[in-house]
Parts: sequence; structure tokens; C-alpha cells
Amino acid sequence: MERSNHDRKIHVVICSGTTCYLMGAAELFGIEKALEESLASRISIEGSPCMNLCKGGSYGKAPFVKVNDTLIATATVPKVIEEIRRQAAM
Amino acid sequence: MQTFIEVDHYQCPKGNHRMEGDAFLSKKLLPENRVIAVLSDGLGSGVKAGVLSTLTATMAITCVAGDIPIERTAQIINQTLPICSERRIRYATFTIVDIGRNKEVRVLEYDNPPYILMRGGEVVEVPKSHVRLPARYGRKNRIYVSEFVACPGDRIVVFSDGVVQSGMGTAAMPLGWGMEGVKSFLREVVGREYTLSARELAHTLVQKSLWNDALEAKDDITCGVMYFRNPRRTLVLTGPPFAPERDKELVSIFSSYKGKKIICGGTTATIVARELKKKVRVCLKNLDPEVPPPSEMEGADLVTEGILTLGKAAEFLTREVQRPVSTSSGKNAAHLLVEHLLNSDIVDFVVGTRINEAHQDPSMPMELEIRRNIVKRIAHLLEERYLKEVNIQFI
Repeated sequence: MERSNHDRKIHVVICSGTTCYLMGAAELFGIEKALEESLASRISIEGSPCMNLCKGGSYGKAPFVKVNDTLIATATVPKVIEEIRRQAAM
Repeated sequence: MQTFIEVDHYQCPKGNHRMEGDAFLSKKLLPENRVIAVLSDGLGSGVKAGVLSTLTATMAITCVAGDIPIERTAQIINQTLPICSERRIRYATFTIVDIGRNKEVRVLEYDNPPYILMRGGEVVEVPKSHVRLPARYGRKNRIYVSEFVACPGDRIVVFSDGVVQSGMGTAAMPLGWGMEGVKSFLREVVGREYTLSARELAHTLVQKSLWNDALEAKDDITCGVMYFRNPRRTLVLTGPPFAPERDKELVSIFSSYKGKKIICGGTTATIVARELKKKVRVCLKNLDPEVPPPSEMEGADLVTEGILTLGKAAEFLTREVQRPVSTSSGKNAAHLLVEHLLNSDIVDFVVGTRINEAHQDPSMPMELEIRRNIVKRIAHLLEERYLKEVNIQFI
């Protein structure tokens, strides 16, 4: 059976808690539009009410995004896209 | 159960005027637990009429609250109103509804269409006496007085002549809708939905009048409703408990509450979801750049983010705008929250006081207020401006 990794869905979770939203999470929800069609169709986006990562600072700073199991702190649209590309190429 | 008095109104200005010439004001006097509402129709329409009616309603509320006899109240109003430059008279109508602690009601009417008392879906006639004013008031020198004790479920409906006269001159109702038309409409609407709120009933009556006028009001149209009903309660959980050991207590307040349930706060929602083993799903439609999206969770009527949404809701409650009644798309979480709060009579806030240290970072924007302060501000607005009963509990 030839089922390549290219079919695998990439799951993006964006935190929409207070700190993350204030620090730019709203913009991250538009990430699908910033991707080319072939990649956009491979990702699924989900919001989280609060990932509980902003407290204490041990995970870095808000906003937080998870691309599958990889956590991105101080997430920006380019940083998240870069991670999606990296995982898509695997 | 204790009866709550819901007071609300809806209005629509004449034709293309931007301001209503009628005024509806209400006030709750907390120590005596007394509610006073006034509908006044000013001479003419537009800004001038609006000033006359607002003056009249304001004076009427103040006088009645001060227990000034009605003859004297009428005199004070009459002597204060300016004389209309075109018609050379001073004139504004009023209907005053004064409701005491034990639901004893006194209604004073001067030249508005008679109020309607609805009891058990039927219109009840209340005997009226009158007070005669001095001769200089001319033909319109009677103030009608009626008194009764309200029963649970009663509705007092007051309206301006724009309602009764709507449709006048049309083939369907050449003489206008008339009192009988209004009464049968009220019976029909209340018969269809027995627990219809004051807010919705006022809105429905004004919309119907506007419809009679082929959607261009021939006069100012105003309706105010006072509804004696079993209170609608709403619980708002916001913030995690100061001591994490009390998470379970918070969740049990949530589970056992009888009424609408709202959670404002990502961490709070996560706690409740964890304890009740539910899933919280963020709605990704209609994203708003300032207000985080609402979520859905089984058992909750609304789940939102905390501080930003509450802050925005306080802002909406501060700006006094004609609130839309119907639900439409394109509303952010703060709009939804305000809708829920305004549709309630009693709001119970349970405020968790644990501080999220990430919010204390000085590089964070100014919008991040302390939760307790925002809740206090919202509570004050709900009590003072919207006559709601509010309880706050800290955990």
C-alpha cells in the first residue's frame, strides 16, 4: 500500500485565552489563508479556550500554538507556517 | 417564589426623524423596593417633542418618588414646560406607573391611551377614578387614577397614541388600529407565548404598529411593559478559585444551579470541563480581532474568554443603545454575553480571585484589568441602568 506521509493531516491548535489573544492569536486564526492550496487542505485548525501555558513563563511567552506535538511560543504567522512546512516535508 | 418586575420598552420615531418624541423612563428605588415608570408623549415630533417628553417623564418620576400629590405634580410639570411657539400651548401627556414593595400598583394617566392590564392572558378592566385639574388646563383636565395589587404573571402595557392610531387611513383600518385591535393583538401574542418577556412584548407591539403604518411611522410609536414574573436567573462563573482545592466547589455550584449558566474565562472553562469530563469547542466562525471567540460546552449556555470579553460587555452596557432583540449572526462573544445578561432578572456572579501572573507583566496592554473590578462595574450597570438584581460571590 502506498500511503505517503503527504496525506497525513497536520493539526494546528491555537490558544484563544486572554493572554494569547491580546498578544496576537486573532491573527493566527487566519493562517489557512496565508498558505498555498496544497498545504491549506492538509491542515485542520482548532481553538483552545486556554492551554494553560502562559503562567510561570517556563514555556516561553504567548501566543502559543501547537502544530501536532510541536509547541511554538511567541507564535507568529511566519513561524507557524515554517513549522507546518517542516512537518509537511517529513 | 419571589416575583420580579421586568421593565422594558421599545420605540420608533415618526417618519424620518432620528429622535423619538416620546420618552419612557423607569427607576428602581432600592431601599423601598419601589419601581416607577413613566411614558410621556411630547407635543409634535422630533427633537422638540423629545425634549418636552423627557422633561415631563423626568419630573414625573422625581415627583412621584418624592410622594408629591398628583395635582401638585401636574402643576409643576405644566408650569415648567415651555410654550410651543407654533401652537401656543404647553403640553405633554404622561402615564405614571408606581409599584410598591408588596406589588401594590397605582397608575396615573394624563391623556395617553389607557394602559392595559393583562392577567392570565386576558385583558382585565380596572376601575378608575379621576382627579380634576383647574379650569385653565382646558378640555383635558382629568387625571385618571387606578389602583390594584398585581398578581404573578401580570403585565402592565403602556403605549403612546402612535400605537392606537397606526394604520389610520389605510383600507384595512381606516380609523386606525384602535384599542380593541391592540387588545386582541396582545391576547394573541401572549396566548402564543405565555412567558414572553417585557422586552420582547414591547418590541413586538411596536413592530406590529409600524407594520400597520406600512413601515413608515405616522407618529412616534412607543410601548413600555412591566411584567411580574418568576425571575429568570443566570449564573456567571468567572476566574479560577484562589485555592485550587476549591475547584470542585466551583464546579458543584455550576452543576446544581437552576437557570442559565455562563462561563467567562478560558481557565475556568478548562476546570469545569475537566471535572465534568466535557469537551470545550472553540467556535471559529465570525472571528473578532478584539474579542476572543466563544466556545461550546455541553451543560453551559455560553462559554467565553474572561477579562477581554467582560471588559467589552461592560463597554456595551455603558453605551446606551437601542438593543437589537432578534439574534443574528456576526455577534461576538461580548454581544452574546450582554444578550444573556439583559434577558435575565437575577444575575449571580461567582468570581474566582486567583491572579494569572502572566497578566501582570508590565509589557502587557492596558486592557487587562483586575477581574473583580470589571465584575463590579458590570454589576453596577445591571442594577442601576437595567434594574436587575445582582449577587456577587468570591471564591
